[in-house]
Amino acid sequence: MTAMRTETAYKDDSVRQRGEVRNGDMDQVALDIGSPHLTDADAGPATGPALRPALFARYGDLSKLRYDFPLILVDGDGGGRFLQSLTSVVDGILRQIALPGAAAEPLRRHVLRLEGEIRARVSRGESDTLSRLWKRSAADLIAEKGESVFGPLATKLDYAREALHVDGAVIDCDADTPYRVLAHIWTAVQASKAKAFRKKVDALIMKLSDILKADFMKSDKAHTREALQSAIGTSFESAFDFAAMSHVLSRGPSEDRLSEDRRRRIRAVLQVLQSQRFYGPGRASERRPDQPEPYGFVFDGCAAALDAFRDRLPEMLDFVKVLTIAELEIQNKYRTELHDPVFARFDESDLSEDQLAHFPSYLVCLRDGHTDPAETVRAFETLASGLPVKVLVQTDDILGTTSPEPPRSSFGAGSARLAAMAAGLNDTYVFQTASANLYRSHDRLVTGMRYEGPALFAVYSGATPSAAGMPPYLLSAAATESRAFPTFVYDPAVGPDLATRFDITDNPQATVDWPVHELFYEDEALQRIDKTVPFTHVDFVACDTRYARYCAPAPRAKWRDDMIPAADYLKLAPERSVEHCAYILSVDAGNVLYRTVVDDKLIDVARHNADAWRRLQELGGINNSYANRLLARERKAWEEQKAQELAELRTAASPTPEEAVAPAEAVAPPILAAVAEPAEEPEPANPDEAWIETARCTTCDECTQINDRMFAYDENKQAYIADPDAGSYAQMIEAAESCQVSIIHPGKPRDPSEPNLKDLISRSEPFI
Amino acid sequence: MTAPLTQCLLRLIDENYTLTDYQSDTPPRWCTGCGDNGILTAVQRLCRDEQLSPEKTVMVSGIGCSSRLPHYMNAYGFHGLHGRALPVAEGIKLRRPDLNVFVTTGDGDCCSIGAAHWIHAIRYNMDMTVLLHDNEVYGLTKMQASPTSPRGLKSNTTPRGALLDPLNPLTVTLGVPNVSFVAQAVDWIPEVLFDIITQAYRHKGFSFVRVLQRCPEFMDHRFDPWIHDPLKTRLLVHAEGIQLKTDISRIYRNQETHDPSDLHRAREVASETEEIPVGVLYRNSAVPCYEDLREGERPNTPGLIRTVLNEEFDKFTIWPEDDGAAPPAE
Ligand SMILES: Cc1ncc(C[n+]2csc(CCOP(=O)(O)OP(=O)(O)O)c2C)c(N)n1
Ligand code: SF4
Ligand code: SF4
Ligand SMILES: [Mg+2]
Repeated sequence: MTAMRTETAYKDDSVRQRGEVRNGDMDQVALDIGSPHLTDADAGPATGPALRPALFARYGDLSKLRYDFPLILVDGDGGGRFLQSLTSVVDGILRQIALPGAAAEPLRRHVLRLEGEIRARVSRGESDTLSRLWKRSAADLIAEKGESVFGPLATKLDYAREALHVDGAVIDCDADTPYRVLAHIWTAVQASKAKAFRKKVDALIMKLSDILKADFMKSDKAHTREALQSAIGTSFESAFDFAAMSHVLSRGPSEDRLSEDRRRRIRAVLQVLQSQRFYGPGRASERRPDQPEPYGFVFDGCAAALDAFRDRLPEMLDFVKVLTIAELEIQNKYRTELHDPVFARFDESDLSEDQLAHFPSYLVCLRDGHTDPAETVRAFETLASGLPVKVLVQTDDILGTTSPEPPRSSFGAGSARLAAMAAGLNDTYVFQTASANLYRSHDRLVTGMRYEGPALFAVYSGATPSAAGMPPYLLSAAATESRAFPTFVYDPAVGPDLATRFDITDNPQATVDWPVHELFYEDEALQRIDKTVPFTHVDFVACDTRYARYCAPAPRAKWRDDMIPAADYLKLAPERSVEHCAYILSVDAGNVLYRTVVDDKLIDVARHNADAWRRLQELGGINNSYANRLLARERKAWEEQKAQELAELRTAASPTPEEAVAPAEAVAPPILAAVAEPAEEPEPANPDEAWIETARCTTCDECTQINDRMFAYDENKQAYIADPDAGSYAQMIEAAESCQVSIIHPGKPRDPSEPNLKDLISRSEPFI
Repeated sequence: MTAPLTQCLLRLIDENYTLTDYQSDTPPRWCTGCGDNGILTAVQRLCRDEQLSPEKTVMVSGIGCSSRLPHYMNAYGFHGLHGRALPVAEGIKLRRPDLNVFVTTGDGDCCSIGAAHWIHAIRYNMDMTVLLHDNEVYGLTKMQASPTSPRGLKSNTTPRGALLDPLNPLTVTLGVPNVSFVAQAVDWIPEVLFDIITQAYRHKGFSFVRVLQRCPEFMDHRFDPWIHDPLKTRLLVHAEGIQLKTDISRIYRNQETHDPSDLHRAREVASETEEIPVGVLYRNSAVPCYEDLREGERPNTPGLIRTVLNEEFDKFTIWPEDDGAAPPAE
C-alpha cells in the first residue's frame, strides 16, 4: 500500500519475511459456508479468529517498522518544516555522518538501534521531546551493553547527537494526533506572523521614541547639570564642567520643539502600540509589569471564537488606526486638518483583508462525538462569515453504528458532501485527510493555516474504538486507501475555478475506483504466488468489530468456485450477482490466508461509497463525465476529418515542396556611434538681442556678481537675462568674457550713446 | 502592514517643494566661477524633482571647499572630519535606513586621507550617493597637490612639479569587489551632471560619481581644452545610462553607446586620458547592500539589548540542575 510505504533501511529483510502469507491451516476452520450468502444479520459477531485484510500482513508490529511515525513537532521555525518524521531525521543524520561503505556500518547500526529504542518508547506511550528521549534511549543502550559512558558506543552516539539539529515533542499516531499536529502548525504559523508583527511594531515604537527623545534633548530638562552628567557616565566625569555646559546650553534658543499636539499624539500612539494584546511582547520589546496578558486564540467552539473576535474588534480597529498614524508621524506627514477627520470616521469597513491577516487567526478544535453536534452546523456558519477562523473537525469513527440502519449515510459519502459544501462557501480553504497522511500533508496544512481567510480541516484519527487491536495509523491509512475517507483539498487561493481549486491527487491511485497492491503468498505446495489485490471499502469495514457479523472467514478448504473478489462482485449486474458470493482476502494473527465472505449489506455500503468517490473524482477533474463525453465527440470528429483528409491526399497529385524562406538579414546595431549625426538645426536666435544658453549655465555666479538685475537665476538656478536695460553694454561684454562656458551672447548695444561702443562691439564678436 | 492605507492618506497631502526649500540661510561662499556651485544646484534640483523631504535628507562631508556643501543645503548635515565622511554616512545609514544619504567629498578628502574608508565603502555597498568633487588640488588649504593632480603640477607641496602620475578614482572604484555604480560628470555640462546625479540617486547601493570640478582659484584654465572643444568629451549614452536632449546632443557630438553592465568596457573607458568620458560607466543592481544583509531579525531596541545582555550573563550563572541551562530564550 502506498500510504504505508516503509523506508527499508534495515539490512535484514525480516519485515518482508514476517509479512509473507502462509498456506492456510486446515484446522482453523471457523465457519461452515453452507449458503451462498450470509443473510442472517442477527447472527451475532462471528466467533472466528481476529482477521485483518490480507494486505496488512506485512504490518504486524508497527513499532518495528520505519515509517512516517513517530512524528516530531519541530520547535522553532525549523526552516519552514514544522513536522519531521523520526525516520527522516535519523536518515539525515546518517547521510551527514556515516560515509557509504562498510567502515561506517557499525555507526549506522548503532544509530538505527537507537532509533528503534526511541520508537519502542514512544509506542509504549512515553511522551517527551526528541532530545530527552534520545538521551534516555542512549543511556539504556549503553547500560545494556555494559559499556562505560566514555566507551566506543557512547562516543558513536554522541557523535550522531552532534548532528541532530531538530528538537520537539515526539508523538505517535493516536487519538490526539490530529489536534496536536494541527495545533502545532497553527502555533508555528502564528509564531512567524508574530515575528513579522513585532518587528514592525518594535521598529515603529523605536522611531517614535526617537522623535520624542530628540525633542526632549532640546528641552531645558535635558540641559540641567544632572542630565548632562548622567549622559556622560562616571568614567570621564571629572573632565567636564557640567554646570558651565548647562549654563551655555540653556541660553540657546529652544526653537524647533514639537508642538504639544504632536507630542500628545505620539505618546498616545506609543501607549496603544506597547499595550496591544494580540501578540505577546517579543524579546525586543520592553516587558512592563502592568502589561495585560496576551489574548488566547484557541477555542473549543465556534461561538466562543466569534464572540472573542467581536469583543476584540474595537481594539483591532484602534490598533490598525494607530499603526497608520505611527507611519505618518514617522514620515512627519501627519496633517491634523486632513487626517483627523479620516481617523475619526475610521470603522470596521475600513479594515482590509490584508490588515486582518496580520492578526492571529482563531483556532477552533471540534471532535466528533465529543463536541455538541450543533457546533458542526455553527462551524459552517463561522466559515461562511469569511473571518480568519481555522476549524479542525476531528472524526474518530467514520462508519457509525450498524443499527438501526446499516451505515448507508456514512461519513465516507458525507465527505463528498463536505467537499461540495466547501466549494459552495467559495472562500474557505478545505482540507480533508486521515492521520496517517498528516506528515506528508505538511504543506497543505501550512498553506491552510497561512491562508488569509477561513479554513476547515477534517481529519480522521483512525482511533475508532470498535476496531479493536487495529493501530490508528493502519486504520486511518486504510480509510484513505479504501476511499472511505479520501484526501482532498479545496484551495481558493490557487485559481478562480473549481478545476484548479479542487485537488484529489493526494489519494493513492486517484484515477481508479480502488487502489491495487501486490500480494504474494505461498500456496499448499509452498510455491510463491503473486497477486494484485484491490483495497476496497469492504476491506476497510471488515476491520471494524461491529461489522464482524456480516463477515464469514473461510479457510482454504472451504473455498468455492462461486466466490469472487468483492471488487469484481461490485461490478456485476444485479441479476448476475445472485450466482456468486463476494469475498475479501484476510489473514489471521499467524498470517494464514482466508477468504472472508461478506454480506450484501457491506456490498451496498461499498457501492454507495464508490459512488461518492466518483463524484469526488469528478470535482477533482478526474473521469469528469461531461468532459469524457465531450472528448469522445471531439475525438470522433477529429478521426473523421483525418480519414477524409487522408482520402483526399491519396487522390491528389504529389505536392510541391514549399520554398524555403530566407531568414531576414540580421542587422547588428552599431555599438559605437563615434560622432553622432548633428540633429536638426535650432531656430536661430535673434543676433541683435542678448541671450543666454540657460540650460548650459553652471550657476557659477560670475555674471550675477557683475549685475544681479541684468542677470538672474531661474527656478533651476540657471542664469538668464532678466533685464538687458538694467546695466551697461560694457557689463554685458564683461559677463560674456567671464562666463567660463561662453554661453552669454551679448547681442547689439541698446544704448547708442554708451561710450567706447566701437571697442565693445569688437569684443562682442567671439560671442555672437 | 498598513502601507496601502498610509499611501492613501499620504496622497491627501499636497506638498510641493521648490528649489529654494533646499537652500539654507547661508549663501554659498565658494569663489565666483567655482564648479562646486553647479554641483550644489544639481543636487538641489534633484531634491526638488524627487520631492525629497528636507528632514529625510542628510548631506555628509569631510573637510575641504567641496565639503562645505552641507552648509548650503536646507537638510540635515554633518560636516565631519577630514577624510571621514564615508564612515559617518555609513553609521547614519545603518541606524536610519529611511534617510536619503548624500556624501560630498573632495579629491583630497576621499582619495588621500580618506582612501581607506573609500575602498571599504565601495565594498560595503550601502545605499548612498557619493559626489567626488575632483578639482585635482587641495583647494581649501590653498593649493597643495592631491592624489589626482596632474603630473608636473607646481603647487605648495610640489614646487618643482608633481612627480607622480595621478590616481584615477574611476578605475580604482571599478576595481573594488561589490562595486555597483560608477559614473563621471563634469560641472560645466549641468544638464548631464543633473541626469547623472539623478541616476546615481535612483540606484540602490553605493553610487559613486566623480565630478570634474573647476577651481578657477588654483587650477584656472585646467579644463579649458575640454570646455572649448566639445569633441574632446565623450558622452556615454545608453537606455540603462543617460540619454541626451537634442540641444546637448548637438553640441557634444562625440558619443558612445556604452552598456553600463559591461564592466570590462567600463574599465577601458575609465582609463581614457585624452578624452573625458561622461556618463554612467557601470551599474549592477544585483549587488546586495550591507544594511540589508546585516538587517537583524528584530530591531535593536533597548529592551532587546537588555534581554540579550542578561542572557549572556546568565551563561555564567550556575544553575541548580545540570541539563537545564539558561531558560529558553523565547
Ligand atoms: C586631519 C586633517 N589633516 C589635514 C587637514 C588640512 N586640510 C584641510 S582641507 C584639506 C584638503 C582638501 O582638499 P580636497 O579634499 O580636494 O578639497 P577641496 O578643497 O579641493 O574641495 C586639507 C589637507 C585637516 N583639516 N585635517
Ligand atoms: S557666468 Fe555663465 S555659467 Fe556662470 S552663471 Fe553666468 S551664465 Fe551661468
Ligand atoms: S578654492 Fe577652488 S575649489 Fe575652493 S572655492 Fe575656490 S574655486 Fe572652488
Ligand atoms: Mg580638491
